[in-house]
Amino acid sequence: MSARTTQPKTPVSTPEASTRAEKDIIAELLQAVSASRLTLFLQCRLKFFFRYVLSIPKPKTPALHVGNAVHVALKARNRARWLQQPLSLKALHDAYSAAWTDESEGKVDWASSEAEEKAIGWRLFETYLREHPLPEDLKPDAIEVSIEADLRQHGLPRLVGILDLVLQRRIIDYKTSSTTPNPEKVAHTHEVQTSGYAVLYRHNTGQRELGLELHHLVKLKNPKVVITPMPPMSDDQQTRLFHLMDAYQTGLQRGDFVPSPGMQCASCEFFNECRRWK
Amino acid sequence: MAVKLSANYSKKLGLPGFSSHSFSASVEVELTDLSQVEAECQKLYQLLQQSVDHEIQQVGFVPGEFYGIDAVDQSGNNGHRTGHAHGHTNGHARNGNGRGNSVNGHSRASNGNASSERWNCTDGQRGFILRLVNEHNLDKQGVEDLARQFFGIGVRELNKMQASQLLDELLAKVGQPRQTHRRRQPSSSQHEPAVSS
Repeated sequence: MSARTTQPKTPVSTPEASTRAEKDIIAELLQAVSASRLTLFLQCRLKFFFRYVLSIPKPKTPALHVGNAVHVALKARNRARWLQQPLSLKALHDAYSAAWTDESEGKVDWASSEAEEKAIGWRLFETYLREHPLPEDLKPDAIEVSIEADLRQHGLPRLVGILDLVLQRRIIDYKTSSTTPNPEKVAHTHEVQTSGYAVLYRHNTGQRELGLELHHLVKLKNPKVVITPMPPMSDDQQTRLFHLMDAYQTGLQRGDFVPSPGMQCASCEFFNECRRWK
Repeated sequence: MAVKLSANYSKKLGLPGFSSHSFSASVEVELTDLSQVEAECQKLYQLLQQSVDHEIQQVGFVPGEFYGIDAVDQSGNNGHRTGHAHGHTNGHARNGNGRGNSVNGHSRASNGNASSERWNCTDGQRGFILRLVNEHNLDKQGVEDLARQFFGIGVRELNKMQASQLLDELLAKVGQPRQTHRRRQPSSSQHEPAVSS
């Protein structure tokens, strides 16, 4: 088996049917790409294959569940500001709790106490409210809006994405994290996402963003918020993003799903599947 | 003493796709004395109403569903014309055109000139908004008011991002909320960037 045109061993019933389905899925993945898919593909192509082509189900991690619930509460808060109908803390907690019980994305693999994790998430949200107050009359430009950009003129797939918050032409993305981000590194490690959002914003509004911000809600014993402001996407950053999208497109067309062994494998949910790859 | 009587009759009717047209006619007559006013008013009203009603039935140019999209594209302000703003709305985009609706006019979209017929969003978004309005009997003015509440501008003026946000609201209103769940990998704690899809 060629290392480049890898077809990983997969749990399939009939090889012909599986190959055909995989081709269809890959064809679909070639039509549109999100920043997260692109990031994952660049991080490890085999992991991308397991997650997006084979769709191997994995239990949701507690950290992911906390992040989702916090995002729901943030969305509720921003939407209330938009409607100029401020929500009480209880109403926000209700939204958070409802999100917590949502199992539509699968059950969570709780390694620690669920109640403790829930409390941590809520404390994180409260910290954000306290440390990052915004005038209630400041209306967002968009909240969790899903948009896309047709990049065919560049020979690229459609770029799709969801912007957490756009406020006064600044694109804001929320993150939950267990470690304090390094301001210098974080701009680089999230560049695919921030550049992708800038492209989406420009295509959908006809305007340049005034800047981008990453709002990290850090799950420490004493939770804290780290805001990393960034300037508008530069032309070089856009070119870099387009090169990466081109690599994604070319890689998918070639069926290039080789693994990228490294430190990140320690926390990969597809570790066992990867070990069987040859 | 000569008495001048001025009469005006105006009518505005709605047209499909958030547009409308209006027509008015005025006349001024000279009366010899005030005793003629009542009868003359009655006569003029009937005359003007008949005239306006007769003429306003000629709707003339009615913009198509995608009117103005090409012009906007060519100006380079709004990007592509064939794009679909939402993957999961594909296939609906060109179905709704609002032509099946009764003529409930919209006062804010009444002048019928070319610029007012343009929508800033994509043709797909426009079609989807109109389709939701038609299929769920949404009040057009309510939709217009929603756009103004959120963005301070009318539905036609919404850019693609704003139209997408409006669609989210409309879908929630009709009980078909958009699935925006995505994987939010926690940042840095798992040796991978925080990502979403």
